[in-house]
Amino acid sequence: MAAIVRVADLVKNYHMGTQTVHVLKELNLSFEEGDFVALMGPSGSGKSTLLNILGCLDKPSSGSYFLGDTNVAKMSDDQLSEVRSTYLGFIFQSYNLLPQYTVVENIELPLLYQGIKLDDTTRDRCIKLAEMVGLAERLDHRPLQLSGGQQQRVAIARSLVNDPQLILGDEPTGNLDTKTSIEIMQMLRGLNQSGKTIIMVTHENDIAEWARRVVRLRDGRVESDTRNDTRGTVAV
Amino acid sequence: MTSYLEPTQTNLLVAAAILVVLLVLGVWGFGRLSRSAIGVKLRRSLSLAVKSLWLHKLRAFLSVLGIIIGTSAVISLMAFGEGSMQDALDDIKRQGATNLIVRSVKPPDDSATAQRSYVTTYGLTRRDLERFETFGDSVLRIVPLRVFPTEARFLERLVNARVIGTTPEYADVQKFQLAGGRFLIESDNKELLNVCVLGSEAADKLFPFEEPLGRSVQMRGFDFTVIGVIQERMPTGGSGGSQAAEEFNNDIYIPLETSVARFGEIISIRSSGARMNERVQFNQVTITVSDIDKVRPVGDAIKSILEMEHGTKKDWAVTIPLDRLEEAERAKTRFTNLLVLIASISLVVGGIGIMNIMLATVTERTREIGIRRALGAKQKDITLQFLVEAVVQTTIGGLCGVILGLGMVYVVPIVWGWVASNPLPAKVHVPAIFLSLFVSVGVGVLFGWYPARRAARLDPIEALRHD
Repeated sequence: MAAIVRVADLVKNYHMGTQTVHVLKELNLSFEEGDFVALMGPSGSGKSTLLNILGCLDKPSSGSYFLGDTNVAKMSDDQLSEVRSTYLGFIFQSYNLLPQYTVVENIELPLLYQGIKLDDTTRDRCIKLAEMVGLAERLDHRPLQLSGGQQQRVAIARSLVNDPQLILGDEPTGNLDTKTSIEIMQMLRGLNQSGKTIIMVTHENDIAEWARRVVRLRDGRVESDTRNDTRGTVAV
Repeated sequence: MTSYLEPTQTNLLVAAAILVVLLVLGVWGFGRLSRSAIGVKLRRSLSLAVKSLWLHKLRAFLSVLGIIIGTSAVISLMAFGEGSMQDALDDIKRQGATNLIVRSVKPPDDSATAQRSYVTTYGLTRRDLERFETFGDSVLRIVPLRVFPTEARFLERLVNARVIGTTPEYADVQKFQLAGGRFLIESDNKELLNVCVLGSEAADKLFPFEEPLGRSVQMRGFDFTVIGVIQERMPTGGSGGSQAAEEFNNDIYIPLETSVARFGEIISIRSSGARMNERVQFNQVTITVSDIDKVRPVGDAIKSILEMEHGTKKDWAVTIPLDRLEEAERAKTRFTNLLVLIASISLVVGGIGIMNIMLATVTERTREIGIRRALGAKQKDITLQFLVEAVVQTTIGGLCGVILGLGMVYVVPIVWGWVASNPLPAKVHVPAIFLSLFVSVGVGVLFGWYPARRAARLDPIEALRHD
């Protein structure tokens, strides 16, 4: 399968006063289309930084990042915004829904910045996504009226609305209890099986077991890169 | 240059109509625009802004309070200022822009002579008048008048009136409107008739119950038959110091020649308890010229004639209302500029208020900004969102201010009327309405820009982490 994401000699340094912190040290990784990857590692290993760079929210200090065939490492802020808007979907640990918007409006939000006309067609698409994640009855609810699991399902629906090539998750189950976590992971697995490429950061082993591939980072380098053969046999 | 409107219902309707037309045009233009890509974004930002402002109604209201007060102050102060100014201008115009007023002035150094000679002689003479008549076509009319402060009496009723001996043309000069009867005519003068025309107030005081026409009023021992009553009219203000205020309503007019024949050349005036006798042939001569361009040349000619005739004795003065008109207009311009200055200060203060709130809003909504950025919003999308929010606030504030200001223009004079005796004139300055609306929008752009840029420049990662 073609590599949808490829980073080569990726370096990220932070300057803190006179000190320079090397967060990512010449990282080389590639992820194939349709893969489901868990990024793991202790805090300070650089997994969040890597996710931010993969999500085009941050730029590498040097090296290249190919998303499909385009090197996005050197792109301008506006171009990166366009990449996020067109090719990426985000799922956050703290859901990051807008409290003043209803479920449907939150799902619709990424379309706002695509410069397309919002009409009944786009609205229907949002409603369908809400139904898909099991929130058909709560279209007009606001995030604060929903449970954590429900909010994360709204976020998943939102991450799908622009039909992204790549879905990025930042500890998507970090704020959820075990039972809800499993529901969310089942949903993500479903998406992956329908062809979506998913990369998520997690520090929980039992969450990482849902992924097909686990990449462990340590001190800005890849420590291990393994494939889960036990996929699908995780105890429910 | 500018247009003025009386605060009447019709004009309110006109203003409302203009606003409605603008609104329709705006909506239509917006409809056209919203089919283009930028229009889609603009409309979306607009609905976003309205939504988020609606979420914090009280805060939005308080933050635009400065704009509201500023705008309404501009509208109302402008209206009252223009009103008073217009009042003064009208006053001068009533005196006639094509008129020249030549008055007899008691020379200040003559007070010692007056005590010695008992009768002071000064002022304009028949000879002066004859010289004025040589101007020919450029002078339409020359209207002399003599003033006697006199008690007028009917039965037991007494009025301290100003009796004015003049010619029939005085009615044209002052544009008198008669409530009844007629004004003086040429034959009254020729035949030295004892007739008089009463000002409205003099008529009311002397004849509170009776019909004044045909009755006799006694003045300085002579009986005068009332032949006319003049409608009440606005007094001219004593503007410019040299000219005394004229309260026409208490005047009584008699033929000039009759006044000479009956009362003589000497006018006695009681001042500060002492009786002063003055020999004045004419207190005032009003000269109307045919064209406004001839006011100044004729004025200069009159001055040189009088300088020749009277020599060093400065017992005359020439007042040219046109001069005062232009002076008043200059004063009005200065006043307007000053108001604009005050307005800009208050709007800047309002703008700073907006900026303050917008900065707080940006901080408060940092996370929202991060979310929007992560989901694909460009910096300019965020800028537009917050800029539109600021502009919507100031525009609504400006509109509220205009409405409040117009309300004040109508209400304040009424309240003023309960407290003060003189009316508060107000004239709505229409360009000021549109100017202040325009400036309100501008303030939104100007003071919303920095907070909006600050919001847009936030680092998305930092913003997402913000609580």
